[in-house]
Amino acid sequence: MVTSDGRARAFTVWFTGLSGAGKTTISRIVVGRLKERGLEVEPLDGDVIRTHLSAGLGFSKEDRDANVRRIGWVCELLNRHDVVAVVAAISPYREVRDEVRERIGSFVEVYLEAPVELLAQRDPKGLYRKAQAGELSGFSGVDDPYEPPLHAEVTCHTDGRETPEQSAARVVATLEELGYLPPASTPDGEAAYTADEESEVTDRLRDLGYL
Amino acid sequence: MKFLKRARPPAGGSPRALVVALDGVPYTYMRRLFEAGEMPNMRAITERGELAQMDTSMPNVSSVAWASFMTGANPGKHNIYGFLDRRPGTRRTYIPTSRDLRAPTILEILSAAGKRVFSMNVPVTYPPRPVNGTVIGCFLSPNLEKASPTPEVFRTLEAIGYQVDADPWLARHNKADFLPHLVEVFEARMEATRHFWRQERWDFFMTHIMETDRLHHFFWEEMENEDPRYAEAFLAFYRRVDEALGELRSWADDDTTLVVLSDHGFCSIRQEVHVNTWLAQNGYLRYATNEPKTLADIDPTSIAYSLDPGRIYLNVRGREADGHIEPGEAYDRTRSELATALAGMTDPENGAPMVRRVATREELYSGSAYEAAPDLVLDMHDGYDAKGPFGKPDLCFKGDALVGMHTTPDALLSVSDLPLLGRRPNIMDVVPTILERVGLPVPEQMDGRSLLRTAAAHA
Repeated sequence: MVTSDGRARAFTVWFTGLSGAGKTTISRIVVGRLKERGLEVEPLDGDVIRTHLSAGLGFSKEDRDANVRRIGWVCELLNRHDVVAVVAAISPYREVRDEVRERIGSFVEVYLEAPVELLAQRDPKGLYRKAQAGELSGFSGVDDPYEPPLHAEVTCHTDGRETPEQSAARVVATLEELGYLPPASTPDGEAAYTADEESEVTDRLRDLGYL
Repeated sequence: MKFLKRARPPAGGSPRALVVALDGVPYTYMRRLFEAGEMPNMRAITERGELAQMDTSMPNVSSVAWASFMTGANPGKHNIYGFLDRRPGTRRTYIPTSRDLRAPTILEILSAAGKRVFSMNVPVTYPPRPVNGTVIGCFLSPNLEKASPTPEVFRTLEAIGYQVDADPWLARHNKADFLPHLVEVFEARMEATRHFWRQERWDFFMTHIMETDRLHHFFWEEMENEDPRYAEAFLAFYRRVDEALGELRSWADDDTTLVVLSDHGFCSIRQEVHVNTWLAQNGYLRYATNEPKTLADIDPTSIAYSLDPGRIYLNVRGREADGHIEPGEAYDRTRSELATALAGMTDPENGAPMVRRVATREELYSGSAYEAAPDLVLDMHDGYDAKGPFGKPDLCFKGDALVGMHTTPDALLSVSDLPLLGRRPNIMDVVPTILERVGLPVPEQMDGRSLLRTAAAHA
């Protein structure tokens, strides 16, 4: 939330969705946007987390839940020290996501929605092909469930209906709407001018040749 | 000597910055004055450093340039593209203010670091945003009370006779009367500068002189032509500015970095160019009414429209109200055709080319406010002043009130004790330089780079 001096208090943005849905791409854009606003931001990418914090964990339901809880715990620590956490992780199970949401409080869930058939077709890392061929097991959306959020703050349609830039812009707009970020531009209700003032300043600009 | 310096009690202590903004003062004109033996105080200031020619923002109007200065970032991040913009998805226009500024300014960055800051009259600081110190709003403030952050500051300014801006209406109707008025506004601005400087030991203090820009808009051509009515008064104004610079210089102790900068150059107007008239004459813009006055009056079938100065927007589907140009291939093709056509604009009087360069949004901008950027921006040849009114019958206009226009590559910069900048500065580099001077890290979102580091790298 925005404090009285106009600065934002830290929060967690959690991107969830199937492999290849655009979590890393869109979350990176959002991280950039938040940094531009002067916030301290830490990106937490699922793939990176699994090589460090969650090394040794596998892809059973228990291990996946443990992974999500660990990421959530790091988010809590970061937020406590005024650092915004931006998570990009498949995090397929609804219950543990909700558990983490509960613990963190200032939590914005972003669901990247795209049909698994389309993702399997795109498959830039070749993972769907391997999973379908049985070379990978426990793959979300193929032979392991993915439970979409029921109440995500933002749902982005990454099936080609919107560009990553547009999706990121919607996430930032939602953060503004929810009061996590000071509004970038003022909605009509709290304009910088009354109608009379605006017309006076407009006249001045016109006399200066600026219109 | 080092020992003596250390042994001396700290003169108030930590490094601080005193920034003097001279709106619209061209580097080349300052050099001319130096060569004529004028501006002794400004010369003394630059002798402790260097007088450098500086690049500014595109477009080169003050709101964009000073926003780029204050944030150290490009318009794609700070979201100020001109004195007028349109609400996304509508044909409603608005005047961008500090509420639209998306990037943190040096005032906020220093405030967060516990520094005390003061700024007066810097575009775009209306409405004043909360800081650790005092911000007095710029000429976009509708009145003095609204420019003031507190009733106390308002009363102080009122007692001084401070005015938000000189009255441009007077300049248009009576040039002779405008000059003494301009001097009066300048003197009150200096008096307020003195008052607030004495108030406490600020870590960052910035005063903005707008009067030079106003002098140029209404008298530049007369100065160039050595018009006997105004040329002497023009020079007298500069002499007065130099006296003020001498006073400001005397305030700067060893711990103070004194920065003097402007935000663009100036030249005489040969023609005001009504870009929307060109678009209409060439089939790119259609009006829905017989007497079009605003953006709301354009027909949805239009391909493009322009806002001052030389910002061109394509009527893109999903972005503009009733936009019909499909993003992607159709957009690229249309924009490239339009850019080629615009580049060929000529002066109807003598056939001279009017456009130096047509820049695309991706060449100029990047960041979270990129979506709001114009699709093309015209860089005009000196003398051709791109304007944004709708429905003007003639492509070009030459009046006798407004005689000076902004130029892009001719702003000036002087930073005390900063010789040999090593590379050509951009207005976005100044705040990173100041941050380094006062010992604070340069936030990574800034596009500008400290000129000190460059100087060191070139040493």
